[in-house]
Amino acid sequence: MSYLEVKDLKVHFPVKGGLFGRTLAHIKAVDGVNFSIEKGKTYGLVGESGSGKTTTGRAIIGLNKITSGQVFFEGQDITNLNKANKDIRRDIQMIFQDPYSSLNPKKRVIDIISEPLRNYEKLTKGEETKRVQELLELVGLNPESILKYPHEFSGGQRQRIGIARAIALKPKLIIADEPVSALDVSVQAQVLNFMKEIQKELGLTYLFISHDLGVIKHMCDQIGIMYKGRYVESGTKEDIFNHPQHIYTKRLVAAIPDMNPRNRQQHLQFRQEVKNEYEQAYNQYFDDEGLAFQLQPVSDTHLVALPEKG
Amino acid sequence: METNKIDIGKEGSEIVKSPSGWRIVGREIMRDKVALFSLIFLIAIMIIVYGTSLLLDVREIVKVDLFSIHQPPSEEFLLGTDYGGRDVFGQLIIGTRNSLSIGILVTLMTGAIGIIYGLVAGYFGGTVDNIMMRILDFFQVLPFLMIVIVFVAIVPKYSILTFSLIMTAFLWMGIARLIRSKALQEKELDYVQASKTLGTSNFKIMFTQVLPNLSSLIIVTMTLNLAANIGLESGLSFLGFGFPESTPSLGTLVSYARNPQTLEFRWWVWVPASVLILVLMLSINNVGQALKRATDARQRRG
Amino acid sequence: MWKFSIRRIMIMIPQVILLSIIVFMLAKMMPGDALTGLIDPNVDPNTIAEKREELGLNDPWYEQYTRWVAGVFTGDLGQSFHFKMPVSELVWQRIVNSFWLSLLTLVLTYLIAIPLGITSGRYNDSWADRLITGYTYIGFAAPLFIFALVMLWIFGFHLGWFPTGGSVKPGLTPGTFEYVMSKLYHMLLPALSMALITTVSTVQYLRSEIIDTKQKDFILTARAKGASESRVYNRHILRNSLLPIAAFFGYEITGLIGGSIFIENIFGYPGMGQLFLNSILLRDYSVVTSLVLLFGILTILGTLLSDIILSLVDPRIRIK
Repeated sequence: MSYLEVKDLKVHFPVKGGLFGRTLAHIKAVDGVNFSIEKGKTYGLVGESGSGKTTTGRAIIGLNKITSGQVFFEGQDITNLNKANKDIRRDIQMIFQDPYSSLNPKKRVIDIISEPLRNYEKLTKGEETKRVQELLELVGLNPESILKYPHEFSGGQRQRIGIARAIALKPKLIIADEPVSALDVSVQAQVLNFMKEIQKELGLTYLFISHDLGVIKHMCDQIGIMYKGRYVESGTKEDIFNHPQHIYTKRLVAAIPDMNPRNRQQHLQFRQEVKNEYEQAYNQYFDDEGLAFQLQPVSDTHLVALPEKG
Repeated sequence: METNKIDIGKEGSEIVKSPSGWRIVGREIMRDKVALFSLIFLIAIMIIVYGTSLLLDVREIVKVDLFSIHQPPSEEFLLGTDYGGRDVFGQLIIGTRNSLSIGILVTLMTGAIGIIYGLVAGYFGGTVDNIMMRILDFFQVLPFLMIVIVFVAIVPKYSILTFSLIMTAFLWMGIARLIRSKALQEKELDYVQASKTLGTSNFKIMFTQVLPNLSSLIIVTMTLNLAANIGLESGLSFLGFGFPESTPSLGTLVSYARNPQTLEFRWWVWVPASVLILVLMLSINNVGQALKRATDARQRRG
Repeated sequence: MWKFSIRRIMIMIPQVILLSIIVFMLAKMMPGDALTGLIDPNVDPNTIAEKREELGLNDPWYEQYTRWVAGVFTGDLGQSFHFKMPVSELVWQRIVNSFWLSLLTLVLTYLIAIPLGITSGRYNDSWADRLITGYTYIGFAAPLFIFALVMLWIFGFHLGWFPTGGSVKPGLTPGTFEYVMSKLYHMLLPALSMALITTVSTVQYLRSEIIDTKQKDFILTARAKGASESRVYNRHILRNSLLPIAAFFGYEITGLIGGSIFIENIFGYPGMGQLFLNSILLRDYSVVTSLVLLFGILTILGTLLSDIILSLVDPRIRIK
């Protein structure tokens, strides 16, 4: 059994309308998603905006209601995390995308970081301050700044505060929802490398959600690609980046910029080819509604959404 | 929120404590001369009114004395007497105290109800919000003034508390609506979502995470409401549906001007109370507007 | 638009039903009932009891309620024991006076608000703006009843420019030109007193709306295209700012009702507000309940009208 296992997860949002506010239709934000994560590894969830990747992450941690399907963590059913055992809740934490809105502007750093501690552990004021200062040191911030407000920090520093809050309870799984996309590129690498460090140090497992394939390539061992609420392809980093099978993945991978300016012309041509292939083969890879097919295994680790016939 | 007394031993002196939001607001008010003056005036009035009313004998003041009816201001009666020979100055002090007390009480009660109602509706949203807002809509379309007057007329014995309760029952909607719309925006922010994932209960999130972010709005609204409530109470007393004459309010004194003779020739009975109501409301509004400017970073003066 | 209006009307129906229940309960809470005013206190208690039974006053409340509602629908509001006439007739006499007073007040409110608001918003931070802002500042704080008293004192008693009570000079024949002018003359001071206070919020709204709009991109674009200043104001800014104001009159009804109680009392103007206060003092409760019901329905209708007009003018307001 894997560490975290998601089985046929569906999250549908009702569309209300009409005279009486009846439910007219459903938006299938997540429509039958399966994946599993190994302990201590990083699983990357990729997709364009609206593909359902964030909803998947939020559904696992209980911020969105799961319509159907199941989620298992260490073998226990946590589909309804809000009602689950308190000990499991503290094992799964989240890092948010926007370091500006994810920290309460009216709270001082010590109150922000100790919020989870106050919920789960009974510490004295002195112990609490000491823990918060240790955490600040761990994330590379000045432990003397516990009485500052979030607005006194830069975006990268704020994200570190968010990370300190997420690891305060020594969780096992962290869901990182686009943790660096709101940051300057120069700061992104810092935060990413730092996340890798604490992963090693604390033995964390990450579910890493991002639209940026470069970031995913840097961080992840396993990758899943989502499109319109469904999986298009999943596999190891090697599978996805070196042997993409689905036309959508191919196009995503082709879109990664090449750092070598000498290859520019070549790269452009390659991208154009992939684009043409994408347009021609679109109907073969997606059904009538433009949704992906069921996943078919192409190797032990590699699954691709191909039509039944292949 | 304040966690000043933290014992961290030797390095303690190095910790930089950033000024809290209230400190900044205080600084803004100190800079705003008109608001500062209004605030000092209000505090002075409160001290005078609540201080001297302890020394005054209410029963003595409201006792009818037929030998000194409608006396103009003199040394004995600083502001003259009314149609019952009662000292206007004494009634002014007691009246201000009563009006202020009711105003403050109603503001606090409507504030408490409005905040809780608005927070719950806004935070939970969806069906809960829908039902709660329909109830609120209904209260808002009631002909408020008439119903309060009817209630005052049919509730047999009423005190400061019952009178305030009647007013509160029909005045909590404004602040509730305001808090609800702000809470609706606030709960979408990630810090609320973060609190949920950190295991904080909904109740705690509402009152310890969301509420502090609404505090400036609440303070400003409640200050402005205080002025409105004092005006409303004196208005009801003016119409004769506030307190009985034995418990004078500022409106009671003004109501004597409904007698054309008093209105035209005996200014000392009603003008001081009218001026006092006006000045009180202006000062409270000044403070409220200054708070509004101070809490809104865009409007800050310096 | 249709969907919104229909949904909005559907919300109104339970409101009216709830209102009628509340008014009915208020009526039940009031001391005395339909009989108290009608009959001689010396009549034998047994006859009264019989009469009560006959009138259905001992029936369960919901039966009495349905009968009462049925009465309201057929225009039967009961009897006023003080005026010894049907409430509906009594109310009709007064409603006309109140209607004209409210209409004049509304007209004056807009007549004052629009030029002041536009001047203040267009030339903000000029001396004229400062003057207008100062006026709104004081007007916002001043309670209506004090302002009205001062107006009556100065213009009614001191200067003697206006009558100090009543709705028409006695002895004039209804329908004549003099009669109409006298009515207008009697209404002017009360309406002006109320308008000068109620207009304040509209002036403030218009001012901030214009100041907001004039910095928006589409206005800057219009200017950049070379449109003249007056064209920018007439075609772009005012169209955006004035339309919502036109819809506010429905919301003003609540304020007008509250205000008319004070104004009619102070100026001795025989309208519904004064009738209401007098009936309460005289304990003429059938009149009181009818008036509360009437005013309540008026408020509900006013809000409904404004909501619908606003939704036409500004689609953003349409609530789901």
